[in-house]
Amino acid sequence: MKYLSKSLVLLGLVVGIVCIAYPLVLWAIGQTVFPEQANGSILYGPDGKPVGSRLIAQPFTKDEYFQPRPSAVSYAAEASGPSNLGSSNYALRARVASMLGPIVKYQSGPKVGQPVAPDIDLWFQKDQYQGSPHLVAQWADAHNSLAQAWVKADASHGKYVDGWAAAHPNETAQWSKDNPGTDKPVAADFAVIFFDDFSKTYPGQFPAAVEHRTADGKTVSAIEPVREGTDIQSNFFDMWRQEHADADLQDVPGDMVMASGSGLDPHITLKNALFQLDRVAAAWAKIANRKEADTRKEVEEVLLQNATAPFGGLVGEKMVNVLEVNLELRRRYGGA
Amino acid sequence: MTFNGWLQILALFLVLLAVTKPLGQYMFRVFEGAERPSRRVLAPIERWLLRLCGASPSDEQSWIEYAVSLLIFSAIGVLVTYAIQRLQHHLPFNPQGLGPVAPDLAFNTAVSFTTNTNWQSYSGETTMSYLTQMAGLAWHNFVSAGAGLAVALVLARGLTRRPSEGRPAQLGNFIVDLIRSIVYLLLPFSIVFGLVLISQGIIQNLSAYLHVTGLEGAGQIIPMGPAGSQEVIKELGTNGGGFFNANSSHPFENPNGLTNFLEILLILAIPAGLTYTFGRMAGKSRQGWSIFGAMAVLFLCGVLAAYAAETRPNPALAGLPLDQSAGNLEGKEVRFGVANSALFATATTGTSCGAVNSMHDSFTPLGGLVPLTNLKLGEVVFGGVGAGLYGILIFVLLSVFIAGLMVGRTPEYLGKKIEGREMKAVMLYVLVFPLIILSFSAWAAVSPYGVSSLNNAGPHGLSEILYAFTSATANNGSAFAGLNTNTHFWNTTMGLAMLGGRFLMMVPVLAIAGFMAKKRVAPAGPGTFPTDGPLFTGLLISVVLIVGALTFFPALCLGPVVEHFLAAHGRLF
Repeated sequence: MKYLSKSLVLLGLVVGIVCIAYPLVLWAIGQTVFPEQANGSILYGPDGKPVGSRLIAQPFTKDEYFQPRPSAVSYAAEASGPSNLGSSNYALRARVASMLGPIVKYQSGPKVGQPVAPDIDLWFQKDQYQGSPHLVAQWADAHNSLAQAWVKADASHGKYVDGWAAAHPNETAQWSKDNPGTDKPVAADFAVIFFDDFSKTYPGQFPAAVEHRTADGKTVSAIEPVREGTDIQSNFFDMWRQEHADADLQDVPGDMVMASGSGLDPHITLKNALFQLDRVAAAWAKIANRKEADTRKEVEEVLLQNATAPFGGLVGEKMVNVLEVNLELRRRYGGA
Repeated sequence: MTFNGWLQILALFLVLLAVTKPLGQYMFRVFEGAERPSRRVLAPIERWLLRLCGASPSDEQSWIEYAVSLLIFSAIGVLVTYAIQRLQHHLPFNPQGLGPVAPDLAFNTAVSFTTNTNWQSYSGETTMSYLTQMAGLAWHNFVSAGAGLAVALVLARGLTRRPSEGRPAQLGNFIVDLIRSIVYLLLPFSIVFGLVLISQGIIQNLSAYLHVTGLEGAGQIIPMGPAGSQEVIKELGTNGGGFFNANSSHPFENPNGLTNFLEILLILAIPAGLTYTFGRMAGKSRQGWSIFGAMAVLFLCGVLAAYAAETRPNPALAGLPLDQSAGNLEGKEVRFGVANSALFATATTGTSCGAVNSMHDSFTPLGGLVPLTNLKLGEVVFGGVGAGLYGILIFVLLSVFIAGLMVGRTPEYLGKKIEGREMKAVMLYVLVFPLIILSFSAWAAVSPYGVSSLNNAGPHGLSEILYAFTSATANNGSAFAGLNTNTHFWNTTMGLAMLGGRFLMMVPVLAIAGFMAKKRVAPAGPGTFPTDGPLFTGLLISVVLIVGALTFFPALCLGPVVEHFLAAHGRLF
């Protein structure tokens, strides 16, 4: 009993000191001496409004901006997190390969510097893999989890497969017979048989979102079989690579396709930034209506000026802050 | 591996070496000295707190009384934290309007913070109100560290103090030790280093989340809150519970290389300093340095192994046009790179901290084996605040005992004989740990509700399970975080593992202290096995490794080791 009352008093005192007094002391000093840092290192745009934090990555998709590292949480700063994929997890390789497909370029040969993507489309349309037809069916059979992931990736994908399932009662009935454990199969369960059938019905094609303009000027998107595009380049780059192992390709900097721990890594390596330089410079040249070579030189200068290494440049790999660089480019060249 | 990387690792180690003696000396003065430092500022606060609590330094406790005070205080801690979480929607400082925390999660979290584990089955930004973070969780960071320190002090006193006039040696008073650890050590250091961290960009405010429109027009919500005050004690107290889900990989918790260096140093400082404190208590600082030496060797080996493993390209990505010269960057931040990620991972798991600046789940199999091994060795590679010292002292007793068996003499340590009763308590301490880990892991691995939480298949899935229970039992709190532990099964079993790993191991330690306090000190003779030289350091390292290997090698083989060999041959899961 003696200990109980002493413990309660101690608890009350400790809570008072370390939960109220201590954070408030740090809060008061922090807000007075380091207000910018203590409030999140917020950066302001050309119009004076806050555009984000210097320390938090935000998504960039337009060509004229440098892109941050991939984020497992889609740059949701209020819900930070990693992919937590084990290094030997198939999904990790699949994600990396799918990011590489649309951006990889030839390193040498007649097409040096050109993207591989169009060749992946052409190869895909032939619908042959390791000497057998029905490439998409082979892909789905070999990588069930990827096929299922495709169905789950977007609501429209699931709907498309549901529509297919309704039109193919025989196939789904057969599937239920083969898998007696699953009482109520959902769209993802049919992924493999769906792709088997799709591959035979639409050889050399893959279901992807296609945008249409309706009569009243609105844009609607629908899933349709397509012959080319990023979906094909992403999903089938790894298979293409298996058949083109000797193609000499440029190595993409690792941090460009490997997700950060926080999902909010504000930096990319300088290597990664230089890899994106051509695209960014070309886009700004177009927007600002300037010569591409000049713009490239200027953007490169911006990068090199902003490149830092940890510990004030003493040690570590050089990196650039994506938002700061993009903000500077925006200030310099204007644009929307 | 680069020269830069080695330089950073070496720099950290040298700074740690440099602070060990002054910090150890300071702690000796605080806990054992005739007069405490800072008579003007801190001493009055101490006196005031002692008076209000009705505690007095002269009120010496027996080991049983000490244990009872500790258990009562911890039980209250669990209950209060549970209540605050369940009621947070009725309480103030909840600008996000977050609802009550579910019962199983609240139990898990209350136990987790009380036991210095700080396992987080939840994501801070979306579950806990500011009040819960501050009044429910933050104070545990201080008292759970203080409690660990107190237990270590009791064991050290039992081993080093002499009985007088037939009465056992004095062991101290729990409340006095706890108050001193907070007033003299944790609080002042937290304020000073907290400000340094805030100056570097760690946030410390009470604002609501900031809604911004990004450069491309997309909206983003920037989280806010008093992160700085929690950040510093998270490391200093080897707690590890992050303000944000991504922990110290989050840029608001760890914005640059300097904060990262400082955070690693804060994790290791007190545990390293305590070895010197112990040496002083034993009257011979070499006794402390020989323990420090064993820890340092194990630490550097761990960093080396993790750094080497993470630098190598991931074999699972072979054939893709990828420049992996910067190492395995999945789950790592560019501003830290592979070297500082390996360093942080080794420091955080060798101690009972459990903060992470990179995601251990995405380490290569051998890279991930290092943190896992650190945990399985019982967190004695510097170890937690207090927990590291008493953990290694248990291994010291075991080493002395084994050495005694080898030469056929009654083993003794610091002049005190080690006999059957003590060794039984030592073995209890050594066995409780694997018993909890392996039983729960086996249960989880064969039950559908256990494996349904896994994020990765194959041997890596087993690694996730093993890591989770080891981390819980060792009161670490870091994770192979792909595992979703916010389920009834995981919240409950891990809560129990944390309780067992804390209190079923602390009580034998206190008992050993009590037994040893009664023993006379015999002067060292020519046949005494010296415990203060490189020979003993070597023996201690082997005992730590052998005990760990004998217990966990089979389980580790089925997890990371088999994963490594399969991955090297291109097998993916």
